Amino acid sequence: MNKIIIQLLLIFISPVIGGLIYGIERKVKARMQRRIGPPILQPFYDFLKLADKRAMIVHSTHAFFGIMHFVSLWFALAVLILGGDLILVIFLHLLSTSLLILGGFSTRSIFSHLGANRSAISALAYEPILIIIAVSIYMVTGSFDVSSILNYPTPLLYKMPLAFIALLLILPVKLKKSPFDISEAHQEVVGGAEIEYSGIFYEAIYTAKWLDYVFCYALIYLFAANNIVLSFVLITGSFLYINALDNSTARVNYKQMLRFAFGVAFPIAIINLLMTIL
Amino acid sequence: MELKKFRKKSPWILHYNSGSCNGCDIEILACLAPKYDIERFGMINTGNPKQSDILLITGPVTKRSRERIVELYAQMPEPKVVVCCGTCSSTGGIFRGMYNIEGGVDQYIPVDVYVAGCASRPEQIIDGVIVAIGILEEKNKDLEKSVKLAVNPVIEGSQVNRREIAGKLK
Repeated sequence: MNKIIIQLLLIFISPVIGGLIYGIERKVKARMQRRIGPPILQPFYDFLKLADKRAMIVHSTHAFFGIMHFVSLWFALAVLILGGDLILVIFLHLLSTSLLILGGFSTRSIFSHLGANRSAISALAYEPILIIIAVSIYMVTGSFDVSSILNYPTPLLYKMPLAFIALLLILPVKLKKSPFDISEAHQEVVGGAEIEYSGIFYEAIYTAKWLDYVFCYALIYLFAANNIVLSFVLITGSFLYINALDNSTARVNYKQMLRFAFGVAFPIAIINLLMTIL
Repeated sequence: MELKKFRKKSPWILHYNSGSCNGCDIEILACLAPKYDIERFGMINTGNPKQSDILLITGPVTKRSRERIVELYAQMPEPKVVVCCGTCSSTGGIFRGMYNIEGGVDQYIPVDVYVAGCASRPEQIIDGVIVAIGILEEKNKDLEKSVKLAVNPVIEGSQVNRREIAGKLK
């Protein structure tokens, strides 16, 4: 009973946690470039400002897709926190991504189309690897349920380190970080599929970005089940890794990204799967 | 807690080059770079008119860019502020009177802040943008204020007597 209250509370404050992660990330990134950087609460200031802007709408379906992107991502996170099926969580996350892609294709803006196209390519790059990681977790623990994965006696990191490396390789694709930020690419497609959203409708997309951080770090937390020190080390380490990578690399094009995902990350995940089976 | 006082802390900038010589653009990029770092005020160079608050224009208006300026201005949601960066965008500058130049930006869209200089220094640009944030806050308050009309609106044909109403407002 006590546990479910904590879980529900965690679900409700997860956008706030994600906003704090995003704020800290902007600060850390600025410090890496020797800038002062915005205040840590900056994402919430942006949130308050976007709420006051006058809402402009392209058409109702477009706005609906944007809001449903946020809602389905939150739902996926809720299933993950409540200890549901890992495969279901991954497919709900894919659903939320595809809603954003549909939203991008529903307008006539060429940048929106390009961004939606690139989002689909990014999903193609990371989704198979996530599913293979989920299958190898099943091979080790004997269950797809997140609650029983978390109750597994030894941390999964020791059982399948290659899967963690594969996850680290695709996290920049998932979080839209350089060098794999082709779907957002502010200098090329100006934000991609989210370009036509404004005001309160952009707020849904902006908050969904925060939820994405929570989702990714929750996936990392799975690898260090119930070991507080190890999970802290893993989450902090991957946070610093992603930001350092984001600051130090230039953007690749989509062919190079696909070649990397299927030539490097995918074989690592497959080898890991074979090792867990044998 | 008064949440509305936080909204002036995140002005997002749209930078448009309407035919500049690139001098002012380099200075704007210098503002984003580590030395001046305007991101500490919460500013982001979005490049997207639908999500930005401040329109930062450099360069004189050329015949090709005037429709784009009006289009970009129309696509920005209220409240919005226009900052002219450099002498050329304020008045036309050294290019004034040339066959392909229309003059300053204020001939086509309402301008709130003029930043002088050729090219304007990063300190001046930051100063101008900080003034623009104050104007943005004022416009935000104006949008929320309810106004009592001195003249009753009359619809003749498809037109409202809006000029008459606007004339009696202040």
